[in-house]
Amino acid sequence: MDAFFASIEQRDNPELRGKPVAVGGTANRGVVAAASYEARKFGVHSAMATKIAIRLCPKLQIVKPRFNIYRKVSKQIQQIFLEYTDLVEPLSLDEAFLDVTKNKKGAASATLIAKEIKTRIRNETDLTASAGISVNKFLAKIASDYNKPDGLFLIPPEKVIKFIEELDIDKFFGVGKVTARKMHKLGIHKGKDLKSRDRSELIRLFGKPGIFYYNIARGNDDRAVNPDRVRKSIGAELTFEKDLSTRFELIVELYKIEKILMERINKAGKPGRTLTLKVKYADFEQITRSKTVQEKITKFSMLHNYSKELLQQIDISEKKVRLLGLSVSNLEDEDQAPDLQLTLDF
Amino acid sequence: MKFVISSTELLSHLQAVSRVISSKNTLPILDNFLFKLSNKELEITASDLESTLITRIALENASEEGSIAIPARILNDALKEFPEQPLTFEINLDNFAVVINSETGKFNIVGQNGSDFPQLPDLKDEQKISFKLSSDVLLAGISNTIFATADDELRPVMNGIFIELSPDNLTFVASDAHKLVRYRRTDAGTETESSFILPRKPASLLKNILPGESNEVIVEFDDKNAYFILEKYKLVSRLIDGNYPSYTSVIPSDNPNKLTIDRVEFYNALKRVSVFSNQASNLIKLKISGNQINISAQDLDFSVSAYERLNCQYDGEEMEIGFKSIFLIEILSNITSENVIMELSDPTRAGLLFPVEKEEDNEDVLMLLMPMMINT
Repeated sequence: MDAFFASIEQRDNPELRGKPVAVGGTANRGVVAAASYEARKFGVHSAMATKIAIRLCPKLQIVKPRFNIYRKVSKQIQQIFLEYTDLVEPLSLDEAFLDVTKNKKGAASATLIAKEIKTRIRNETDLTASAGISVNKFLAKIASDYNKPDGLFLIPPEKVIKFIEELDIDKFFGVGKVTARKMHKLGIHKGKDLKSRDRSELIRLFGKPGIFYYNIARGNDDRAVNPDRVRKSIGAELTFEKDLSTRFELIVELYKIEKILMERINKAGKPGRTLTLKVKYADFEQITRSKTVQEKITKFSMLHNYSKELLQQIDISEKKVRLLGLSVSNLEDEDQAPDLQLTLDF
Repeated sequence: MKFVISSTELLSHLQAVSRVISSKNTLPILDNFLFKLSNKELEITASDLESTLITRIALENASEEGSIAIPARILNDALKEFPEQPLTFEINLDNFAVVINSETGKFNIVGQNGSDFPQLPDLKDEQKISFKLSSDVLLAGISNTIFATADDELRPVMNGIFIELSPDNLTFVASDAHKLVRYRRTDAGTETESSFILPRKPASLLKNILPGESNEVIVEFDDKNAYFILEKYKLVSRLIDGNYPSYTSVIPSDNPNKLTIDRVEFYNALKRVSVFSNQASNLIKLKISGNQINISAQDLDFSVSAYERLNCQYDGEEMEIGFKSIFLIEILSNITSENVIMELSDPTRAGLLFPVEKEEDNEDVLMLLMPMMINT
């Protein structure tokens, strides 16, 4: 979906149409969750501090998010997808992979399906979407980002190699900011640079993900569209009104986060074994500390004790703290390598 | 309280007992050594409540009896820095000031009241069982089994060595449910049948001090605690509460396929090939046919693989079986014989390993390892 949250706000409030709009926190420390295309022209983008966004675009209309509405629209779109195929893998509220190799409408062309879905989304939700079509998830995702908003882009099999060779490394789906920076340092700027490196060299440089990079540089991605993608972590975080400088304040705020997180863990019914504390300092430097325990974190008392332990490892002597976050991962029934070791039957 | 003692002699005793002290003590007094002087004998105690280790030193020069708790770390750290020389300890039992006089200086520490140190548990007379065994037997029993103990919070009975006494023999057993070791001695035993579970930490403390002992060890225990009385040391341990699982029922008695192989050759090949195994599973495959064993491993994630072929003696059906390499290597490193026998049944059942040549006539060593599934 194009500028999903912001588009919904513009749809529901005619006064916002055609104007730069940002959905996000209005408070002093608010952050932009989504920006309309009018706002993006000014350089406003998601995850930007609202304060900075206003500086870039003084006329920016800031709207508080209405997640209930977004969730409703998201379900509406899902329903449309499911009329074409059951192989729908949601990436977020407004993005999903669809495997239409076999589809319920018996359509022969993925492009036709994409056009039809786009039209239906427009008719039923009054919103626009962009679609990317190609032979695998990696290429489809890149294609969908290629021609926004209201776009439709196809990378046909015979053009895959050429397309990737010319693609900037920063645009690769699955290559994050940090990896992209590392690649630039190594002289890898475009797909063809990545392709020129040996598999063993990439493994040496990047570890296991090196194999993935080797494959995508050749357009190979055999990951299936998985409708039951399991959640890998559950988290909660708070950005504070005012930066915190004392341990006492941190403990109080962390307690609130622990409460929220425990509720989410219980709701998901998936306790984990690794707890991670994220700290963002006033200068935006971010650090994490984590702890993995033998037993799943199922009780608040456990979560509370481990959180406190992690907080003790945080240095607050030099910098104030802007944000605290907690997450659990290593969740139950995460797809781990099956334990092949047999056990004695005592 | 005053005594003169050799700096290096004191240090060696302190270092032995200080292994008891836990960094996660709940009671601050346990960060101290308890010094107790009576009858020209100095007794030094360290404890973590679960295990208590006591050592004794005879002194020539000592006056006034009493006890004091002295901070362990500072004393240990200081003594490490002294060259061999006599040190004079002067302890004021009214304000617990400790003054150590060396040849060239004076060192001051403040101790605590010795009576604050936890008391040793008493054994219940009506339940007490005592027996003697040679220090070598106890050491061999612990050394052969301790590596197989578990670290499992949910099944604490597995976190120790099960010591089983009978009129005919003495048996040490340890298992983490993947591997199991049974070490049996026919030259030791007690009149009545009984047993206890010794936690891993005191077992490892004994393993550390037993090599310096040559005499018999007196063991006394009831259902809660055990005393190990050595010539120079006394170890008191709380025992693990609960019933040890019935280990005899998991040891197969009829593994028909029998492999005999040079232990060191097998061990070295495993170490090399296991480098190429999957880092998460550590799976190595053994394919045995004729008089050859093929040891192979691969890690698909990194496209690496290896195999080695060794000669062996094999009497049985052709077989392919998988093991976790680190377990098999660990077991082989805990056997000392030149050749080992491996007895197998099928790829999903326990394999047994025995030394071919016995170290002692009276010993019987059995090691068991559960295989890993090999997905074909």
